[in-house]
Amino acid sequence: MNFINRYEIADGVFFSSIKDSRFKTMKISANIIVPLSEETASANALLCGVLSRSCKAYPDFTQLSKKLSSLYGADLDASIRKAGDCQLLSISASGLDDRYAFSGESIARELSLLLCSVIFEPNLNDSAFIESEVEQERRQLLDLIDSEFNDKRIYANGQLIKYMCADEVFGMKRYGTADKIKEITPASLYKTWQNLLKTATFEIMYIGDSSSEKAKEVFSNAFSNVERAPSEIKTEVVRRAEDVKHISEEMELSQSKLVMGFRTGVAIPDKEVNATRLMCAILGGTANSKLFCNVREKQSLCYYCASRYDRQKGILTVDSGVEGENIEKAEEGILKEIEDMKNGVITDFEIEATKMAVVNSFYTTNDTVSGIETWYASQLFDGSFKTIEELSAKINAVSREDIIKAAQKLTLDTVYVLKNK
Amino acid sequence: MNITEIKSELIGDSYFKINHPSGLTIYVYPKEGYKSSYAIFGTKYGSINTCFSVDEGEKITVPDGIAHYLEHKLFESEDGDAFVRYAKTGANANAYTSFEKTCYLFSCTDKFDESLEILLDFVQEPYFTAQTVAKEQGIIGQEIKMYDDSPDWRVMFNMLGGMYKNHPVKIDIAGTVESIAQITAEKLYEIYNVFYNLNNMVLCVSGNVTVEQVIKTADKMLKTSEKHEITNYFKDEPYEICEPYVEQNFPVSMPLFNLGFKERADEILNVEKLAQTDILLSMIASQTSTLYRSLMDANLINSTFSYELFEGPGYCSVIFGGESRAPKQAAEMIKQYVCKIKADGLEKSDFEIAQKAVYGDIVSSLNSVNSISNTIADYHFCGNELFSYIDAVSKTTFDDVSKRLSEMLDVNNCTLSVVKQAENEV
Repeated sequence: MNFINRYEIADGVFFSSIKDSRFKTMKISANIIVPLSEETASANALLCGVLSRSCKAYPDFTQLSKKLSSLYGADLDASIRKAGDCQLLSISASGLDDRYAFSGESIARELSLLLCSVIFEPNLNDSAFIESEVEQERRQLLDLIDSEFNDKRIYANGQLIKYMCADEVFGMKRYGTADKIKEITPASLYKTWQNLLKTATFEIMYIGDSSSEKAKEVFSNAFSNVERAPSEIKTEVVRRAEDVKHISEEMELSQSKLVMGFRTGVAIPDKEVNATRLMCAILGGTANSKLFCNVREKQSLCYYCASRYDRQKGILTVDSGVEGENIEKAEEGILKEIEDMKNGVITDFEIEATKMAVVNSFYTTNDTVSGIETWYASQLFDGSFKTIEELSAKINAVSREDIIKAAQKLTLDTVYVLKNK
Repeated sequence: MNITEIKSELIGDSYFKINHPSGLTIYVYPKEGYKSSYAIFGTKYGSINTCFSVDEGEKITVPDGIAHYLEHKLFESEDGDAFVRYAKTGANANAYTSFEKTCYLFSCTDKFDESLEILLDFVQEPYFTAQTVAKEQGIIGQEIKMYDDSPDWRVMFNMLGGMYKNHPVKIDIAGTVESIAQITAEKLYEIYNVFYNLNNMVLCVSGNVTVEQVIKTADKMLKTSEKHEITNYFKDEPYEICEPYVEQNFPVSMPLFNLGFKERADEILNVEKLAQTDILLSMIASQTSTLYRSLMDANLINSTFSYELFEGPGYCSVIFGGESRAPKQAAEMIKQYVCKIKADGLEKSDFEIAQKAVYGDIVSSLNSVNSISNTIADYHFCGNELFSYIDAVSKTTFDDVSKRLSEMLDVNNCTLSVVKQAENEV
């Protein structure tokens, strides 16, 4: 595994670099972390879009795109996601390594400069963003909200979290609400930008063969002019569910969706996180998992039935697409597999095979640039960075008793059903 | 055994092509410094191969969706499931069926030889019984229904239905609940014996592997196949589309569209034509293009907008699509733009940018063992080769692309497909 070099270049601003000569591309990303809140989420999300579509040097989308294309089809991407009770905004630039340029230009250097300028030198009109740029991104963000309803698996999972975490900030959407998005003005967005530069935690990551020194210097200089007061980052964890909530909706569909949300009682930085992770994978994380083998293969109830563990929030979800008349059968089938795990019905084969599959998936990520980035970015909230070898050793050290204990802590919180009419 | 090294002067990589005595073509693309490997074992047999003959025998017609059904069932053998065997090596295995091929694959970081043995073994060992075939009806039935509820999937197949009168590309890959009800163990054996012949298949491996290692396992596991002549029949397909507009109502908040230009499909495009087409489409519709900008400024598309060349045996089209609150206006603007560049010509500066962008994309894709193996398999089944394509991209000229434009994108031969909420539900 590659070694990560991490420096604090300003208060709450970290620059990490990973040198790797195996790839034909490089990537530099700015991960911007702020507390998730109803008040600011929509403006931050819109800002992320506006920043990534133009800057002072390339003042509109077409000019910026042409610059990127002329750098051998380089990409500038922006994304927004929830990470526990935080909002994680990410803007990244990726492109060919310098070795593959036709005429010896440094693509890596240009992309580092470009990423820095979209964050620090946006296209402004005095103390406001450009109205047409804001409107274009606003429309697209509103489109994005609507489009999440199009995919019913995504929609159903979103509805589960909305109802399950109705009393937690995590119950909101990663981009806030359409109403809040509509209220934003070019001037208010300028304040959002200023506030972000001051209060967000920045994790800048550089992965590639070329030297990262230039990029580090560029970002250090940019932050040296910024007054910093980083906000505290924390996540509320509900450890147990008291009652089970049942929510059901109806729609004109061919297939019904069933999503179940559990509290696991374990979240980072608890040391039981790896046992819970493995328990989740044995339950429904692989093609040998209990849910796949029994609910899909033996009972022939569904095409997919999978479980997922959010170690920041300590939530485990199971989701499936089933025939309307089989919803109860599927729910019983899922609960039976969990009951079995609580009672220790887990074979050595299941444990060993799942450990191998999990470790295999870790190592596979190490062979792509984005995989390496994801590996470290996913640990931003863990409190420390572990290499693949270190985390694999932890997974392999989990015992049968640890897994059973993790299963025994599961409490069902919410069952959400999207039923076909 | 004939081993050929295929080298790219341009990017300095090389890979190997092996004509194995069993009849199988094998490609190995070693990646230095990688820990993972990816293998794909595929047959040139997909959802469109519904009518065929062997060695000029009688024509056989099979139910829609049978290629995909076979893919699901091949994982089972007399002594259990291939997934259980892979569980012992830690490999991550999967399979998929597309219009013109069926592929079985795995990725792993350890025990590669054992995983390759499992792959080569279970794909060569069919085991179908009435009982195991019946059991899959429920699982695939739910897979079909999942796709029935997918607006992206529906908008594309509705477009294909509007474009193609006879070609089976318009039929859902998984078939329908009714068509799969006709599938029996006998029928699965019948198609298996025709299409899962090593002469009709390919194995592509890339990553932390050597040629010697792959050949050793291949020698041990492959059962020599006798070569047969397979003929696939497709009813004559007219040049003209069937319907210029198709619409389906669906519970969606964002309407979706696909605009498909039906192209001539007399023969599969060679690497030169492919390179010209890819550069041309990038010039027309990438984020850098004038068209993209106009569509955005008019609020007719958002960042989901995409374009592709969609090509296979007997079908070829160019598809533009994405979310739009006004799909008809978006389609109209695309058609008008195509008319304009056909009349006024393309811009040389756009060509230079697009050529670099297409080159950058394909070179970047060589980072990933998955995309390397998948792309080599795709090119193999089309009679093309990956590095020649990269060369062709770098050698394409502005005039080549201008000429290519004159041969394609007939605005009088396209279908617009729209999926949107019913009016009274809005």
